[in-house]
Amino acid sequence: MIRPTLSASSLKPGDKLPAMDQPMTTADLVAYGGATWDWNRLHFDLEYARSLNLPNVVVDGQAFGAVMAKHALAWLGPRAFMTRLSFKMRAMAFAGDTLRAEGEVADVRHAADHAVVVLAQRLKVGDRVCAEATAEVRLPD
Amino acid sequence: MSLLNDELRSWIGREVHFPAREELGRASIRYFALALGDDNPLYVDEDYARAAGYPSVIAPPTLICETCQYAHRAPDRHGYIGHAWELPITGCRLIRAGNDYEFMRPVLPTDRISVTWTLEDIVERKSSRGGTQLFVTSVARYRDAAGALVAVNRETIVYQPLSPSP
Repeated sequence: MIRPTLSASSLKPGDKLPAMDQPMTTADLVAYGGATWDWNRLHFDLEYARSLNLPNVVVDGQAFGAVMAKHALAWLGPRAFMTRLSFKMRAMAFAGDTLRAEGEVADVRHAADHAVVVLAQRLKVGDRVCAEATAEVRLPD
Repeated sequence: MSLLNDELRSWIGREVHFPAREELGRASIRYFALALGDDNPLYVDEDYARAAGYPSVIAPPTLICETCQYAHRAPDRHGYIGHAWELPITGCRLIRAGNDYEFMRPVLPTDRISVTWTLEDIVERKSSRGGTQLFVTSVARYRDAAGALVAVNRETIVYQPLSPSP
């Protein structure tokens, strides 16, 4: 039994995605670095990060995109297909931070045999916005 | 002070290609999902993925846009093994401005993905602190074994002078 996929006709601009918390411990950063072959010391070596005047090791920028894709697709369901994810960095996040993913439906476009839902998403640590994204996801109509 | 010069402009249009070394593989997909705490069954459960209409498990969309997996070299002094242009710019720090990914189809563990990076543009802009900074935009095009485009990653990196001049 698979989870249902949200239908485009049930969505309207302003609908909110349920918020999702993504803890980013040093161990999480190491796991992500390993999974993406990224051995940049910035993501695990505290002494190295401090030598660059940073308070802690840094969350990989592309991980922000991965978290927003996870957030969107967990909500929309298994038949949703992300066609675009455009994100801008606003601030760094560090080991020990918990990223809160938030978002809402910005637009719903209907085509002949499918629909595209446009999401506005952001990642925050407390009140600090770390990244903002626009995602486009194709849904069966 | 201008950062952009003719030597740098000559880099615009350069390309570098990393051929596929092997199939993406189920282990890579599961590792990525596990690292993100992503329990979406599409990435690990074959029967679930088939029931949802896919030929097998699929990869989380951004996985193939991660740069380092295509490289095959020893880490540099920062530990980095991925693609870098090594532009002749000194005294700057590099900051990721953003990425714009487009995805053409779900990627399968049997896919052999190769990537071609193109240095699309270098633009100089005033920074809010009064100095100038360079915006370097590169495009990575990911193709399958048949040569069909599966994803595009347009990435902008800012080169910011360590001590900005007015």
